[in-house]
Amino acid sequence: MLGGVVLAEGTNGFLGHTALIVGFAACLFGAFALVSATVLHNPRLLRTVQTYGWIVLGGAVLAVVVMEKALITRDWSLAYVQKVGSYDTPALFNFTALWSALEGSILLWLLLLAVYTAIILRRYRHRLHDPMVAWALVTMFVVTAFFFFLALGPTDAFRAAGAPDFNRCCKGPNPLLQNHVLVLFHPPILYLGYVGFTVPFAFAIAALVTGRVGEGWLVETRRWALFAWGFLTLGIILGGWWSYEVLGWGGVWGWDPVENASLLPWLTGTAYIHSVMVQERRGMLRVWNLSLLVATFSLTILGTFLTRSGVINSVHAFSDGTVGPYLLGAFGVVVAVSLGLIAWRGDRLRSPGAIDSPLSREGAFLANNVIFTLFAFVILLGTVFPLIVEAKDDRRIAVGSPFFDTMSRPIGLVLLFLMAVAPALPRRKASGELLRERLFWPSWCGAGTLVVAVLLGATGFSPLLAFGLAGFAAGSALRQLVLATRRQGYRGLLGRTNGGMIVHLGIILIAVALAASNSYSRAGEFTVTKGETVEFGGHTFTLVDLTEFESATSIGVKALISIDGGQAYAPAISKFTATGQDVATPSVRTGLRYDIYLTLENGSKPSTGEAKFKVFIKPMIVWLWVGGMLCGVGTVLAAFPGRHRRRPTDAVSAPIELETEEPVDA
Amino acid sequence: MSRSSALKRWPGWVLLVLVVAGFLAFGTTRDAGARTPEERVEEISRQLACPVCNGETVYESRNTSSTSIRAEIKAQVTNTDSTDDEIIAFIVQQFGADTQLLPKASGFESLVWVLPSVALVCAGVGLFFSFRKWQRNVDTIPDDEDRALVEAALVAADAPPTAEGVDEP
Repeated sequence: MLGGVVLAEGTNGFLGHTALIVGFAACLFGAFALVSATVLHNPRLLRTVQTYGWIVLGGAVLAVVVMEKALITRDWSLAYVQKVGSYDTPALFNFTALWSALEGSILLWLLLLAVYTAIILRRYRHRLHDPMVAWALVTMFVVTAFFFFLALGPTDAFRAAGAPDFNRCCKGPNPLLQNHVLVLFHPPILYLGYVGFTVPFAFAIAALVTGRVGEGWLVETRRWALFAWGFLTLGIILGGWWSYEVLGWGGVWGWDPVENASLLPWLTGTAYIHSVMVQERRGMLRVWNLSLLVATFSLTILGTFLTRSGVINSVHAFSDGTVGPYLLGAFGVVVAVSLGLIAWRGDRLRSPGAIDSPLSREGAFLANNVIFTLFAFVILLGTVFPLIVEAKDDRRIAVGSPFFDTMSRPIGLVLLFLMAVAPALPRRKASGELLRERLFWPSWCGAGTLVVAVLLGATGFSPLLAFGLAGFAAGSALRQLVLATRRQGYRGLLGRTNGGMIVHLGIILIAVALAASNSYSRAGEFTVTKGETVEFGGHTFTLVDLTEFESATSIGVKALISIDGGQAYAPAISKFTATGQDVATPSVRTGLRYDIYLTLENGSKPSTGEAKFKVFIKPMIVWLWVGGMLCGVGTVLAAFPGRHRRRPTDAVSAPIELETEEPVDA
Repeated sequence: MSRSSALKRWPGWVLLVLVVAGFLAFGTTRDAGARTPEERVEEISRQLACPVCNGETVYESRNTSSTSIRAEIKAQVTNTDSTDDEIIAFIVQQFGADTQLLPKASGFESLVWVLPSVALVCAGVGLFFSFRKWQRNVDTIPDDEDRALVEAALVAADAPPTAEGVDEP
């Protein structure tokens, strides 16, 4: 009988389904064992939980390995391989084809979730009897079970298919997903961030179930939240880089619904990693922090729904399959259960503390939270608004970058201002004299930046204000770092406050680079013949050569354009033969002040030697990537404990020597 | 008072405000130079959605219909005196309302502009009342119990150290 099933499904299909079924069952058994052991106080059941955890991991790993094997061996018996596989796809992109469509991307999600679950299980293996840990793991198992269910049902990657009709199928992944090595990094890193927020969410749910809604669960999840946030940040930045290098329109962010879906949990996650400090130190904002974590996790599910259900038009959207209702249902369950638990524990969530003054570090964190939440609301509203209008009036509208640019500009400026002022604010209450003292040099940093920007020719109110505020914020962050390193040497770069300042510097660089590139980019389009030179933006561009090329998957035209008579750059445009899709491959001369971005346009004819190309002069783009790296470095440094960190066993009211903050009367 | 502290009191801040206001005003009002036709086409095409593709602007899309819209915009920019807004209105009229990426500020669509403002006001009012409540709750006036605690502490501090007393003076 087994042989019959294997024959019907094929070996890979059978193995994949078996791995998923075993993993799904292990999730349910694991969750059941934990609940039973916790409720019935049965330690014997607890001993089985680790085994279930390893089986879950084994199931997810096996499913992914089998799918990779099927892709590599071109096992056309699987519908998914027919969808994203082809004989011509290069090995790297054939490997990454796993996450180039809906079903495979759910397998990747599942793998990462299983890895996180196994790590949590391993880390807390001696504390499984602690109800907080047990309920957190129950939540992890349930979430993982849901993704196993998706992988088995609505997004079955191992579904058997009939004999392939090579005229219609087997054309490989979307051409945009086989054009740059970043396809290997951007989706998995973004998913590490998305999925990583499941851990703090699980502990938040555990805190609510056990009623231990104090600060213990925060301490358990502090680094997990930071870890997930770091990966989400890195994933988003890599997405921008990919867009810049691959899409050929010279931009890094297009306010596409799927880009927005990745930004939403980042915004609420950023609010959380700030407001959590208020709860740790003052025991306040308990409901707020729980809500932010629930929002962050549920927004990852909502983002997946928006991406995968096909309800919203997006260049990233995979399909309009049947997965939508399940994801929407999961989103509803997460929100309903979380809100129900918060309401149930309402009496324990009331916090006794108070924030003495709006002019304090805590007050700044609150303002930061309001702005980040408002930002998330604006992005969510703009993203789903076309759906609302369509549902109400049965007419289609589009909400795009002009709306998001208009709304995000003032919000970004306020956030820069808060980044400038907050690090200088003491806890509890600030006096005017203290602020005059602490903000003096950072303010002059801002003024200096503004002066330099104007002298370099910058114009326009918004970008100039952005540069000034960015200088102010950078001055404030540097002041904090200088004070900290003076006192503690290299350890002054460690810990949440100081690592956070390095992240601030990264974000400031990104903000400046975005303001400059959005405001001062220049573009020109030229049609030239071989040997002809044109001038634009203070540079000369000479068409050296124009040739046709052919690869296994595409045919195209490549130009060689010499900039200022020096090195030649090679923008190209390819037509993927399987799909007929045109894909531009820009060529970029990167510089510290600006990039020169060349794209070849349709209409270039090697037969006549005539090329049509665009030149974009884009200021400060390289600083976006430097800022991204600083964010990564800062996140790692923030994960190291600072010198004076509160011991997890201390009561919240226990006195703590602040990490690097100078006395109030400094 | 040191020279540095004196500087940070008011002269330095006044100078700062003057420098910032002056350079901001100068930078904002000076002429940024004329835009090239390509830059106008770029700006206008960023405001329009490709009518047949998934979530891309006319600027980003390489679809045939976006190419023809770009050509139309270029023709309008080169051959007419129309403003950017007039060209956008023309394209929207030709290709349908769902090419307009900026929602209208009237009718039901205005909600997308109004709701964030309402949310901001609500958040501001909420914060205001929260801070008021917290400040009311801050117990700053000592009662008899507090005074008794302080007196006991003072007496203990005046008393000669004992074996169980404080180790250091």
